[in-house]
Amino acid sequence: MILYLLTLTLLVFIAPLLLGLIKALKMRILFKRPVSIWQGYRDTAKLMHKETLLSEEASGITRVGPFLVLAPLLVALLFLPPAAEHAYYINVVDAFTLTGLLSLSTFFLMLIGLDSGSSFGGIGASREAFIAALVEPAMVLTIFSVSMMAGDLGIAQAGLNLAHHFPAHHMASFLFAGISFFILLLAENGRIPVDNPETHLELTMVHEAMILDLSGIYLAIIETAASIKFVIFASLFVSLFLPFGLQFAPPLALAIFVGKLLLVAVAVALVEVNTAKLRLFKVPNLLGVAIVFAFLSLITYYVLGA
Amino acid sequence: MTMTHFFQLDGLSMLFVGLIVLGTIPNAIYSRGYLPHIKRTGHYRIHYITFVLSMLGVVVAGNALSFLFFWELMSLTSWQLILTEASDDPDQVLPAARFYFFMTHFGFVFLLLFFLIVSHGDFEMSFAQMHGVAGAFPYATLLFFFLLLGFLSKAGAVPLHVWLPYAHPAAPSPVSALMSGVMLKVAIYGMFRFLFDVLYPWPLEWGILVLVVGALSALIGVLYALSEHDIKALLANHSIENIGIILIGFGMGMIFDSLKLPTLSSFAFIAALFHTFNHMSFKSLLFMGAGSVLHETHTKNIESYGGLLKSMPVTALTFLLASISISALPPTNGFLSEWMIFQSMLGSSHIDTMSLKLAIPFAIFALALTGGLAIACFVKAFGITFLGLHRSTNARHAREVNGWMRTGMVLMAGVVIGLMLLAPWFIAQFDAALVGLGHPGIYADIFPDTVFTLHSVAVHGGAVSPQILLAVLLGVTGFLYYGYRALHVKERLHRTWACGYRTGARTQYSATGFAGPIRRFFDWLYRPEEHVDTSEEPDPERQQILRRYSMHVRPLFEASLYTRTARIANGISYWVYRLAHFEQTRYAAMIFNLMLTVLFSYRIFAHTFSWATLILESVVLLISIKILIIGEKG
Repeated sequence: MILYLLTLTLLVFIAPLLLGLIKALKMRILFKRPVSIWQGYRDTAKLMHKETLLSEEASGITRVGPFLVLAPLLVALLFLPPAAEHAYYINVVDAFTLTGLLSLSTFFLMLIGLDSGSSFGGIGASREAFIAALVEPAMVLTIFSVSMMAGDLGIAQAGLNLAHHFPAHHMASFLFAGISFFILLLAENGRIPVDNPETHLELTMVHEAMILDLSGIYLAIIETAASIKFVIFASLFVSLFLPFGLQFAPPLALAIFVGKLLLVAVAVALVEVNTAKLRLFKVPNLLGVAIVFAFLSLITYYVLGA
Repeated sequence: MTMTHFFQLDGLSMLFVGLIVLGTIPNAIYSRGYLPHIKRTGHYRIHYITFVLSMLGVVVAGNALSFLFFWELMSLTSWQLILTEASDDPDQVLPAARFYFFMTHFGFVFLLLFFLIVSHGDFEMSFAQMHGVAGAFPYATLLFFFLLLGFLSKAGAVPLHVWLPYAHPAAPSPVSALMSGVMLKVAIYGMFRFLFDVLYPWPLEWGILVLVVGALSALIGVLYALSEHDIKALLANHSIENIGIILIGFGMGMIFDSLKLPTLSSFAFIAALFHTFNHMSFKSLLFMGAGSVLHETHTKNIESYGGLLKSMPVTALTFLLASISISALPPTNGFLSEWMIFQSMLGSSHIDTMSLKLAIPFAIFALALTGGLAIACFVKAFGITFLGLHRSTNARHAREVNGWMRTGMVLMAGVVIGLMLLAPWFIAQFDAALVGLGHPGIYADIFPDTVFTLHSVAVHGGAVSPQILLAVLLGVTGFLYYGYRALHVKERLHRTWACGYRTGARTQYSATGFAGPIRRFFDWLYRPEEHVDTSEEPDPERQQILRRYSMHVRPLFEASLYTRTARIANGISYWVYRLAHFEQTRYAAMIFNLMLTVLFSYRIFAHTFSWATLILESVVLLISIKILIIGEKG
């Protein structure tokens, strides 16, 4: 139980670090002087002290929306697979509910985008809706395939099951599902081939456009939500597709877990540096690749059992 | 005449009586507030009450006679209810009502055929007796198709869905709510009743067919809903989608039953029944909300709304609840039933047939895409209607609706929440109804330990708990909110920043714009007609050129299937007309040709067959037809 709470707090607090790490690493590779990896914490601290500026046109949605964006993600954190064997975990929630919680958060984020009456918010919400709608089928199919391999839909139990027989079983379908999930990780978190988190150019932005009219603590909450969403995906990726090192003593297992999270962040940074952002209407092609890999994974599992 | 089986009231009937009652009571209260808006109140009241009674009659009918009587009464009263406001907008209402009248009777013909065959013409036969007759009938699939055409034309599944986006907007809003929320479910009742009582057992192909129809309806419904800017037509298209989802569950149940997987089959049927109830609750609520907005703004065009959350909070919040529920977001009831349908599809890994096993993921894909697009659509419906700035003067003058209407909406929201929190109780009822139909009861498998966790019956399936999820979500949100309050942050109001641009009602995103990316992606399906009207701004000082962009999507099925059928029917009737107005010599020639045809075909088909004579004789026939009947002019 203590380990469970410890992992939870760790995940919440490591979240800005992961995004900061990606940013710093990207800048270093591009021969820029990198920002500190702690920049995320500084930003949050700064925003916490600012006054909140609200739009006159905005309704109650903007006032409660940020909390409703963050809350489902925090709830989703509770049900993630454990970082070590014999650690406490809650298995009452399965993968569908988890994706549902993520969609609930996105739903309110899109409403916030439409609330202020600014056309930027509309742009962001419209694009987010488009991408989210196409992510959904790939996500469900990948989950389906992974749950077949894990023999359990309960997300926490699935992680443990996979850890038990990693990497002996179903390597081919496992790999395909992993590729698909990594693409979804990029798409859902608005990383580079899909959305550029650092740009403020209206032609390209998605996530940033929706939150353009938020400030102060509200902005801090939304930014925290974004980083927590990344941490959820990273930790899911780590627990489902890199499920090793769980059998060690809890401190070591936890260290390995964090190491793997950092590894995912590095991988994302490398992808970001090496790819260009896709045009919005090319994004479905990328998600199509994810869908195809999810199907492939299912088919190899069913037909070849591999 | 004996009245032995005129009515029957078993578990399934009770269940749908419950559905009708749940759907009608809030609706009746809402209607009470809507009445001042209606001119022909007497007409409305009489047909409203008869409509509700006839729906009750359909679900408790015990033989073909009473079933068809109440079914037809239901069709006719709903048709009259669509016509209630005919004088206000005859150009829209009259064709819609005519279309509905045609479609509903198109279905009725097939139901009649079905009953004529399965009852040997004895309409007072009970449904159980019909089972024997149907079993002896050699072409069971024909009966199944009659049933599908009959009920799905009422339920609104592809390709018989085209009347919904016309009839629902034309009807007064409480009637739309009742038709979409409750009447479509009566057709689902019919599917349950006659597939179980009369046509059981089913071949595997039937289930697959229902599944395919369901998946197609779900996708097509939501895609057309996205491109719609008439709010009630949007909701009507969502009814098509949700009927599709129900049919996916139903089809999975049939498939599992044919494959002798009774537990999974029961689970899928329970999911379908649960979604039937859920759709009743949130769709009624959405139509009521749309009706309230329409009542205040006097327009159905979503582009003229905006900013209504501030002036109509009750309507907006209930609409938001229903939107979350219809988008299948946790922990709402819509999520629970869609979750169950997904789970039953995951049970497809138990199927032995490899081709079927590989085909089910495509249905999963369709359902998941539907879910994603539904979220987009309801962000659009809620966001454009209730958020942002007022897009028209009408929206600016909107006020909250009267107490009756608010009560109706709040009650229906109560039904939505009740279906979410009391899900175990409802599932127990669905389970009991299925046991009554001869399926194994699986309540103990769904709730193995507590009533708080809903388990899937697929091996190692997942679990979900609406109550715990809701409690945790509310707890965390409340904690965050009061944490924020405790900080006493200074708040300041300022106009929307938007990078320094001036925001106004015109610069906001419109519903058309919001659905733009998705519309562009599905361009091959929509084939939108775009119009740009350019005109000089009347204000001489500003000298702006005003461009108005409008976009209209022609439904594919209507354009291809229906219009073309109508064109072919027209062509045939033209030739029949030509035939009927020939001069007498032509008649003689026709008789001559007919005799030739009979003789030749006798020779060819009954006597000796050879290709040479067939070709020779057809040439002779064609020449004589050309010369004698068609003549020189052709």
